[in-house]
Amino acid sequence: MRRIILSLLASGALAIALPALAQESKPLAGASITVLMPSPQRADIAAEFEDETGIHVDLQTLSWDDIRSRLVTALVAETPPADVTEFDWSWTGQFSAAEWYMPLNDVIDAETIRDIGVAKIFTVDGKLLGIPYTNDFRVMLVNKKHFADAGIAQMPKTLDELVAAAKQIKAKGISTYPVGLPLSATEGASTSWYLLTKAFGGELFDKDFNPLFTKPDSAGYKALAFELMLLNQGLVDPASTGLKDIQINESLFAQGLTSIMISGEPGRLSQMNDPNRSLVAGQIQAILVPTESGETRSFGLPEALAIPKVSANKEAAIAFVNWFTSKEYQKKNLANGFLPTRTSALSELNAEGKLQSGDVLVAQSKSAGALFPQGTPPWYPQFSSGVNTAINSAAKGEMTVEQAVESIAEAAKRAMAQ
Amino acid sequence: MTAVTIGRPARKRGVGFNADTSLGVLLVAPIGITMATLVFYPMGRTLWDSLHRVNPMQAGAPFVGLDNYTRMLSDGMLATTWANTLIYVALAVITETVFGVLAAALINQVKVGRQWILAAVILPWALPGVVNSVIWLWIYQPGAGLLNGILSALGLPFDNHVWFNDRTSAIIAVTVVHVWRMMPLTIVIVLAAMQSIPSHLYEAARIDGATRTQMFCLITIPLVRSAIAVAMTNATVNAFNLFDEAWVLAGSSLETRPILVQIYLETFQNLHFSYGMALSVVITFASLLVSLIYVLRVYHNTRFD
Repeated sequence: MRRIILSLLASGALAIALPALAQESKPLAGASITVLMPSPQRADIAAEFEDETGIHVDLQTLSWDDIRSRLVTALVAETPPADVTEFDWSWTGQFSAAEWYMPLNDVIDAETIRDIGVAKIFTVDGKLLGIPYTNDFRVMLVNKKHFADAGIAQMPKTLDELVAAAKQIKAKGISTYPVGLPLSATEGASTSWYLLTKAFGGELFDKDFNPLFTKPDSAGYKALAFELMLLNQGLVDPASTGLKDIQINESLFAQGLTSIMISGEPGRLSQMNDPNRSLVAGQIQAILVPTESGETRSFGLPEALAIPKVSANKEAAIAFVNWFTSKEYQKKNLANGFLPTRTSALSELNAEGKLQSGDVLVAQSKSAGALFPQGTPPWYPQFSSGVNTAINSAAKGEMTVEQAVESIAEAAKRAMAQ
Repeated sequence: MTAVTIGRPARKRGVGFNADTSLGVLLVAPIGITMATLVFYPMGRTLWDSLHRVNPMQAGAPFVGLDNYTRMLSDGMLATTWANTLIYVALAVITETVFGVLAAALINQVKVGRQWILAAVILPWALPGVVNSVIWLWIYQPGAGLLNGILSALGLPFDNHVWFNDRTSAIIAVTVVHVWRMMPLTIVIVLAAMQSIPSHLYEAARIDGATRTQMFCLITIPLVRSAIAVAMTNATVNAFNLFDEAWVLAGSSLETRPILVQIYLETFQNLHFSYGMALSVVITFASLLVSLIYVLRVYHNTRFD
């Protein structure tokens, strides 16, 4: 009897203590935050995070191109657009100058910062403004079945080989427009030109931000001439002047209508090879970006999570950033097309054989430096807009290459002057 | 004593000048307060801020006088967007007015089921601008678009034609969508005016042997001129404010970019808030000025009194 009473008492004590212990492991349980990220995201993010921390998440998603204006309008009015927001590498200069985001140096552990090498792109004057969650850099994606059907055994390493392969695929009638290249007045057109500038062995600016792309023998000039040559020779769809990179990825490349994504996103590999989301599953692989010299080059475009200074729920927001950028979650998030930013997660996934075209991605990531080694300037968005506007006009035949590069240089000058 | 009585007439409660004034003020107050807080204050504030440097990337907001306005003179991209906007305004106002008046005259002739025709005509205007634009984006699609499909079926070489790769066709394509959306309003305004024309005027003209064209030109048009002026004002302001159609159909492409898209880019992309404000002030006054010209010219000549 005594035993029964004792065990009952023990069970009762445990029943009372367990929730308290759980509460202790979830110190912010009951808190609520909003998170604004680009679409698409996993549908179960909020439920999973709430399960682990007890913090309720209202996850809002917008297309990448629409997020920035939402952030700016809210932040200018000194209201939080969300407690945690997307923070693209290209906004770093502008948002840092506006002092809209809280530095995260003291709230994120040093090991995490060490493990995420690209975090330095988001660091201005020693202040870390965002924790990168997707390791975006440019690589080339190809449809290996198209290459095999065209009788191309060797993947291109130089730009000449790339053009030859595209012509062969077109000649065999496998693809009407074998090369996917955004030429609309959107960011995708700018980043493709930056990549090709690197592929021609050059940079955009010198260390004092003087343009290096205006002379006919410069890499930027050759890159734009190369794009127009692809278009004029019928290797790029003329409708690309109105298509964003995401549209070319999803409505052309994933449908098997194009064979080569010049400025490919490594994170798309899993999506492209998923039979539920792509008509070319199993046919897509990454190759190192071909260049004029044959030695691959690329640049990084990581995206981060950041916390606006005006957020009223900073502690819970920090918990979300930590959770979303943890090694475990990054490995899981690969299935949604987000390549881990943690070197450790990337290596483990590759070792486990879970990273598609893993060796190529690891090799390409090593060649992916910052587009602006001096730090992303505050005038980058204005410059980039000048770049894609000029490329778009040149692709429509409204400008020559010379006029377009002059227009880009003028846009850069104007942006720097303001 | 008498003089005092005459000098201070007896006042009845609720009657007389003061009571009327109070009632008038009371009735006008809601709209007055709404206009003051939602229109005049923001306009005044915008005008004032356009004389300062407002940029979240730079500390403070110093007074810069007319710098933001003089800067417009050396902005090459702005000149292109102004040219695009003026082309949109000219094309849209002329098309909406000419076809709107003709359509109104046609609907005015219909005796049975006019309300159904009117409801169908109004539909594009009732739809949001973005929805209209997305529908037309599909129509203009290079591959599977309806327009290319129809032209190809007629044996014309438009199989994979990209309408936005040529500036002229791109401007026309954007204008068509805008006119498609805004012309119903012109039709409604002009039709209402046509229906208020006394029928005995037409009977008299008919007895005098006037043809239908003469009746249209000599009776209908003069008597609906004030309505046309209102419709043209509306068309002008809306064409100056064109944004959705250009943005959805061609993004920020320079060949089709109107001034409002330029303002959006300057303000929210480049964070040059005060420059964006100065541009907004200029576009507001430009559209008001153009509207005022034909309101004064047309309305002045057609007052019944």
